[in-house]
Amino acid sequence: MLRIGASVAGCLLFASVLAPSVSSAADITLGASVQLTGPLANTGRYYKDAYEFAVDQINKKGGVKVGNQQSNLSLKIYDNQSDVNLSVRQYTQLVSQDKVDFLLGPFASNFALADSAVSEKYKIPMVQGGGASDQIFSRKFKYIFGTLAPASDYFGSTVTMMTKLKPEPKNVALLYADDAFDVSVATGTRPLLKKAGLTIALDERYSSNATDFNSLLSRIRSANIDAVLVAGHETEILNFIRQAKSLSVSPKMYSFTVGVPSADFRNALGADADYAFGMTAWLPSSALKDQWFGDAAQFAQAYKAKFGYEPDYHAASAAADVEAFAQAIENAGTTDPQKVRDAVAKLNFESLYGTIAFAPNGQINLPQTVIQIQGNQVVPVYGKNGFIQQPKYPMPPWNERVASGSAKP
Amino acid sequence: MALLAQVLLNGVLLGGLYAIMALGLALVWGVLNIVNLAHGAFIMLGGYLAWHLFTDLGIDPFLGLPITAVAMFALGYVVQRGLLNFVVRAPMFNTLLITFGIEVVITYLAQLAFSADFRTINPGYAGNNVKLGSVIIPEVRFIAFAVAIVLTLGMWIFLLKTRLGRAIRATAQNLVAARLYGVEPRHLYAMTFGIGIGLAGIAGSLYGAVSQINPYIGAALTAKCFAISIIGGLDNPLGVIVGGIVLGVIESLALLYVGATFGDVASFCVLVAVLIIRPSGLLGRTA
Repeated sequence: MLRIGASVAGCLLFASVLAPSVSSAADITLGASVQLTGPLANTGRYYKDAYEFAVDQINKKGGVKVGNQQSNLSLKIYDNQSDVNLSVRQYTQLVSQDKVDFLLGPFASNFALADSAVSEKYKIPMVQGGGASDQIFSRKFKYIFGTLAPASDYFGSTVTMMTKLKPEPKNVALLYADDAFDVSVATGTRPLLKKAGLTIALDERYSSNATDFNSLLSRIRSANIDAVLVAGHETEILNFIRQAKSLSVSPKMYSFTVGVPSADFRNALGADADYAFGMTAWLPSSALKDQWFGDAAQFAQAYKAKFGYEPDYHAASAAADVEAFAQAIENAGTTDPQKVRDAVAKLNFESLYGTIAFAPNGQINLPQTVIQIQGNQVVPVYGKNGFIQQPKYPMPPWNERVASGSAKP
Repeated sequence: MALLAQVLLNGVLLGGLYAIMALGLALVWGVLNIVNLAHGAFIMLGGYLAWHLFTDLGIDPFLGLPITAVAMFALGYVVQRGLLNFVVRAPMFNTLLITFGIEVVITYLAQLAFSADFRTINPGYAGNNVKLGSVIIPEVRFIAFAVAIVLTLGMWIFLLKTRLGRAIRATAQNLVAARLYGVEPRHLYAMTFGIGIGLAGIAGSLYGAVSQINPYIGAALTAKCFAISIIGGLDNPLGVIVGGIVLGVIESLALLYVGATFGDVASFCVLVAVLIIRPSGLLGRTA
């Protein structure tokens, strides 16, 4: 038995040595460490799925042209278990042991902030679509590029819209979690609010992963706040909305940095998600043309068919990162990290995510479209050219809402 | 003034929720001397069970409490009988390790089974409230508080008056003497752990009805339960109610007056203070 097994193994080995390789050139490997488990797995999966999806699609369309040769892309992904320190070790392993050619990013600013030190040290470019904090790009690093719009401007379009709402909200509460991304959002939002002539009546930082917002909500009610802007994580925002309902706290509007574009968020809250404002730099529009996917609408459709859930801007941003490398490698005509880095810096092409072009600090600049959940659908309400669809404003008190309770997921 | 009253009420109601969560942990810790690091993971499992009962079968989370409790009791019984009984008299470090292992296994199996999506148990009345003067009382939290009081009193009476309850206390106090009186410790340990996990199941259902469930909520909940058990003391189920309410009120006041990042700081300051001043807990017997 053992001998048969050994001879079969021998034959297989022999066959694999003899088999002609399919591609004429070696694969170009992109490495990433992503949150597949742990508290951030919920959003981390967008990155793994979108990376794989984009790599498959690019390979299906013939791969990447390097000089005169066609190369396929391949992926090496580790699960960092939502642990920043582990992700730094994994990126170090990716570049020093696995010898991947280029790096894709993790999800979340604090991860990108730490992991970009690895790409900088080894001089391997990292294009990441998961970290938006301005801190990542303020260190004059040369090898980090970001496809999320700057955190400091997340509420930019929302604040502009607020000045055009009738009746105009006057008192604003700004609540933010104490992590890199959300602190950047708050730092950027304060001057915007002042410039718009709005009063910041409550400016409060809270602990990441806080579950109890009753005290903050009670303060919001007793201070008669018109508009609440929250920069936080999806779990916190779910708790915030549920507790707002249970305490009948109903400002004229509230807006959240995350959650609103995600299908998961709307499923969890059902009708209670209605009226929540949010923002996204990406909507699956057929106007966004893409050489590999056709356009953003087709991308979204194929993505949903493959993975069973709708992509949001995280997924589109991640797919754009893979495309950025494909395009930059073609432009550079080589896989030399330094030359590809320079080609990434000079990129300017249309993608399913929008125009990919990086500012000198390495970050993309895309305008945020204000969105609102209306009838459990995400509706774009305000963009760079003004109102797109009418926002539902002011938010009615909870007891006057038509339907409530959860829709079936 | 209205703000203070509201925040105090929020704190007391939060304390009720905390108490249900910690009740099972304190029981298992007090009787079996096992600090069950997987307690939060069992709460999470209870939450998912209630969520499935609600979304798939349309069973109201409060009406589903007995089902969740019985199912989780059975799971707890099996875990104790098949696994923890082998280490129950080993040094505490071993039980810590094994319950930590159970926590990891449950958490990752939960992600495989339920995905990392956030779930809420959200019946139509979940956000309802009653207005009393200037103070608003959220209904679900109030019912959860009532359930906490009833369960704690029930637990107290059970331990004091029933044969099984006395046997549990006897085993905790003096194993040899209890065995001489005919107590079968393997069964009794499993019953105790089962009850503890059944209570975790109830806590999970209520937690899902006021907050959100995902596979990773367990560890933070265990830490909270641990603090409450120490603050209240392990000798008496009523201690857990006291511990929960003290913690809930102090956290809420800290969030209001000190700052929204100081909730955990406040609760662990209380923990340290209790450990220094009354090491056996507020309602614990001083040694």
